[in-house]
Amino acid sequence: MKTTKDRFVVVHPLDDVFEAKVDTEGLGPMAMTRSVRFSLLSLRAYLILMVLLVVYHVVMLAR
Amino acid sequence: MTNKTLTMSAAGVDAEVMPVRGRVVKSKWTRDLLTFLMVFGPGLIVMVADNDAGAVSTYSQAGAQYGTHLLWIVLLLLPVCYFIQEMVVRLGIATGKGHAAMIYQRFGKWWGLFSLVDLQVVNFLTLVTEFAAINLALSKMGVDPRYGVPLAAAGLIMLVLTGSYRRWERIVVFLCLLDFAWFWIAFRLGPPIGQVVKHALVPSMPAGGITPDLMFLVIAIVGTTIAPWQLFFQQSCIADKRLRFADLKWARLDTFLGACVTVTAAVCMMIAGAASLTHGFHFTDPAQMAADIGTFGGPAMRHLILLMMINAAVLGTTAISLSSAWAYGEVRGWPHSLQLPWRQARGFYSLYLICVGAAAGIVLIPRAPLQLIILGVQVLAGVILPSAIIFLQLLLNDKELLGEYANKPWNNWVNWTIIAVLFILSLILAAQVAAPNLFPSAAGGPTT
Repeated sequence: MKTTKDRFVVVHPLDDVFEAKVDTEGLGPMAMTRSVRFSLLSLRAYLILMVLLVVYHVVMLAR
Repeated sequence: MTNKTLTMSAAGVDAEVMPVRGRVVKSKWTRDLLTFLMVFGPGLIVMVADNDAGAVSTYSQAGAQYGTHLLWIVLLLLPVCYFIQEMVVRLGIATGKGHAAMIYQRFGKWWGLFSLVDLQVVNFLTLVTEFAAINLALSKMGVDPRYGVPLAAAGLIMLVLTGSYRRWERIVVFLCLLDFAWFWIAFRLGPPIGQVVKHALVPSMPAGGITPDLMFLVIAIVGTTIAPWQLFFQQSCIADKRLRFADLKWARLDTFLGACVTVTAAVCMMIAGAASLTHGFHFTDPAQMAADIGTFGGPAMRHLILLMMINAAVLGTTAISLSSAWAYGEVRGWPHSLQLPWRQARGFYSLYLICVGAAAGIVLIPRAPLQLIILGVQVLAGVILPSAIIFLQLLLNDKELLGEYANKPWNNWVNWTIIAVLFILSLILAAQVAAPNLFPSAAGGPTT
């Protein structure tokens, strides 16, 4: 969106020049504490258990 | 922002300098309206596509079994939808990259793979339900699904192969606007307004209290209203559309309006289900519900509901398949943009094609328990959702990445509350499956 004194130029994002974004490549992986890592692992275990329970429940309903 | 910045296209589109084409306007009001219309799209599409075939089925089943009693839950999900998707908007605009790419880069390959596999599995199962709904609706309309389903799949593939993001977006926004037909359907069915308003604003439980079936349906409602694919879809869509930092407020408005449309349409679907209950019909699937409503609403109403069911499935299919293709393309480093022609993004388009083709093929297998698959997938999405939101929450608190666009403390309070509620619902589901007698079933109560 460009502006001059008495008029405005509206540009579609796809017609505009590429905008500078955050350089995510240079950041590398996020620093995680041991507790965050443990929490994510627990989450993984919880998810596997929950998915198995849902599958079991659906199979029971199907019978 | 204080972060290091980089000028680049994440989607594999050549970042050559091209002449800027714009429209000249004279008033600020026109400038704002035009800018909004140019930014408008990803928010509406993600929200309306969320009212996919599974959602039509779940909301109408909720109405058909419990009347308008569960309307307040749907209304409660409006801010939840908005808050979650608004975070995705910020992340997409700041990084110009998709959600899968961000998880890979910031959490490493192992967690990236975990999120990607979860997404692809739930997405594919959901796609099966979309085509199952198309199959059901076509059968009820007297169209042979053996021809209708492949035709729908071919149309969905053609939709993305135009090599133009804008063309795809315009067609999909038009399909989204057709969702307004649900308002007419609800209006024509003449619901008791006082009761609708009361049940929407005052939390109440259906007669029979909390039963396992009610909990299963509530989790399915939550699972269908906020789905993991939405996070991946909207962020990739924003990256593909190359929204700019200056577009943030319009992208937020787009998302908010989308949330309002989708929740209101969901209320209308529940009202349609409640109307069939009032006339003494037993719910089996939404296509049968359309036929039942047709007996007192007329054949036009029956056909309109069936067409809306197909429209919902088409919208869901294109959005979900794209979220899978975008996510996979980002992780593999393939060119992955709707702006690219087929020959420049073969991997990206092939994955979309495989998702659509395989899901369409599976539903043509005779005698699959379609309604059960639909409900089961919604519950599965509800179970996986908390973990997807936790990754989103961690990314949005990454000040090194987002700087001033990172979450504020009040954002975190809201989001952790949402995550806690979602976990509680998941745990209730686990408890009721592990110990079915925990919540006694109401005698003669409705069953899922």
